[in-house]
Amino acid sequence: MKVAGKPKRLEHPKSVYIIGFIFKIVTLLVFIGVTYQVTFSHHGPGLLIPMKKKMDEKQRSAILDEVRQQEAYEKHRHFHNTVEYPKLPENVQPVCYICHSDYPHSKSKKVRALLNMHTQFFVCETCHIETKEGVDLVYKWYNPLNEDPQGPFFGTSYDSDTGNLAEVEDQFSKIAPYYRYGERLESALQIQDAPLAQDYMNVRDKLTPEQRDNVKKKFHVSIKPKGHDCKDCHSKQGILVYNDLGFSLNRTVDLQQLNIAGMITKYEKFYIPKLFSY
Amino acid sequence: MQHINYVLKASLILSLFSMALISSTPAVAADKENCLMCHKYKQLGRIDEDGRKRNYSVDENIYANTTHRNVPCRDCHSYIKKLPHDPVTEEVNCANECHIKPPFSKENFSHKNIIEVYNNSAHGKKDDDSQAVRDAKPHCKYCHLNPLYTMVDEKRVAFDTTLTRCLNCHERKGVTQAYKHITHRLRHKTSRSPQEIVQLCSKNCHEDIDSMKSLNVSRESLEAVATYNQSVHGKSVALGSQEAADCVSCHATSAIHDIYKKDDPKATVHKDKIANTCKQCHEDANEQFAKIDVHSKIDKEKPVLYVANTSLHFVFYGSVFGLVGLMLLETFGRKKDGIKWQIRRGTTWRGKSKRK
Repeated sequence: MKVAGKPKRLEHPKSVYIIGFIFKIVTLLVFIGVTYQVTFSHHGPGLLIPMKKKMDEKQRSAILDEVRQQEAYEKHRHFHNTVEYPKLPENVQPVCYICHSDYPHSKSKKVRALLNMHTQFFVCETCHIETKEGVDLVYKWYNPLNEDPQGPFFGTSYDSDTGNLAEVEDQFSKIAPYYRYGERLESALQIQDAPLAQDYMNVRDKLTPEQRDNVKKKFHVSIKPKGHDCKDCHSKQGILVYNDLGFSLNRTVDLQQLNIAGMITKYEKFYIPKLFSY
Repeated sequence: MQHINYVLKASLILSLFSMALISSTPAVAADKENCLMCHKYKQLGRIDEDGRKRNYSVDENIYANTTHRNVPCRDCHSYIKKLPHDPVTEEVNCANECHIKPPFSKENFSHKNIIEVYNNSAHGKKDDDSQAVRDAKPHCKYCHLNPLYTMVDEKRVAFDTTLTRCLNCHERKGVTQAYKHITHRLRHKTSRSPQEIVQLCSKNCHEDIDSMKSLNVSRESLEAVATYNQSVHGKSVALGSQEAADCVSCHATSAIHDIYKKDDPKATVHKDKIANTCKQCHEDANEQFAKIDVHSKIDKEKPVLYVANTSLHFVFYGSVFGLVGLMLLETFGRKKDGIKWQIRRGTTWRGKSKRK
């Protein structure tokens, strides 16, 4: 019932609000779109593009430009559709990567790429940790984002349909070494949260090269420069107990004996000096 | 003695490949030499001598869905003679013959025919090109990654329904691959979207004005990306159209790689051929229609176009900004009058104006 003196618009049905709301959203979107078209779009007048270019020019970094260019170049040089895998957050990256990157091996031309391949499965300490006399080293899966990773882990089994390695959700777990004191396991990992690592991160720009070298030596007290030989893992009596680590039977056999071990045997023969020099 | 050494060496290499081949679970059917035994791992790579990060991993699941999935690795990487191989310093030659015999052909497959077309095009390296021009001209991998099979649009081919009919006679695996191989190409001109084509031609190439200037290209070529973006084709593609013309639609035939300068009689945009090119989409196109400047730069040198364009801009932007401006003024006026802005009880505007 209409009441004299009251605004008529009080009686709008709900649908009017919905229509009004949609109209406002459409108007807003059109406004934003047109504003973008006038200012920054390459498909319109682009009134502010010169200003943006000037600002970009000021912030331009030759190194950053080159890195991006190299990445684009590498993608096409590679040709085989490189995959962007998820990466660990910066603060939980292995501490070794700060200096050595995720491709740490570079000295031996013949095996550096193969050694780097292992960083997908191991933390650096798995091969490079010094043993303590009288203390056993055991190996188990470690994930910086999950205290007790249960797997399945990448590389431990084959897909029965394709014969390829089975795809898994866990992208970050790696095999890591632990010191065993009776029933207790103590991680042999050097982690970024370690006070020494954190302190180094804070002050490394203030250190002279000599001071930096000295500090780095502290990091490597428990680290041996040469890692294990291939056969230390790729054999039946290897230090890694594949079954305990969750590897399937056929994958275990492959790792212990067949493809990898076979290749390594060939490797040793192949690179015996003077084999091919006459 | 040297002959014996050679035989010894060859036997050893052969045995290495054979052992690698027979000694493990096959990763994918195409990988006959089991290169993926190492290359399937994502961290296979190194920092090279120039400090560049090089990754050598090939995802086996992705590779199995590419057009090259049946090509043995060493058909392309023919410089690899032993395992493990030395650091690669040679480039793949796409004109190599591989050991695939296409259906209906007795010849080994090779890309040499299309490479010949490409070499004759404006992008092919010519003897009289300066070194800078030769370096700037794109090679196969500059534009191509290992192409992935993608399902064709259901509107064009009822993929599953048709494939099901093939399966009445043929084995699933073989015919599915053959079917994908053909239907993958049942698209407009390429299996790439117009957006991908425009991006490919523009990024790091034709839109890089400094680089183009250094190659002494014509003024029209220099402005090609900017004028395309301003055109109705460019705007439609930018808004997501799959039908509007991209670069390849007009500048190449179905061979895709035969792009010539517009003065070249072989060019699809040559004055004698442009009407036919337009007819690909505009059925009624004639010589008069073909005179419309697609890459038109609208400046004061073309006063009629310039005035028309500026006027239309005023009309369009004036309408939108005028409408929004009026709404803002109305809002401001009502607020100033003391009318509250609230969304309840039937209206956004409540209360009585202070005006008398």
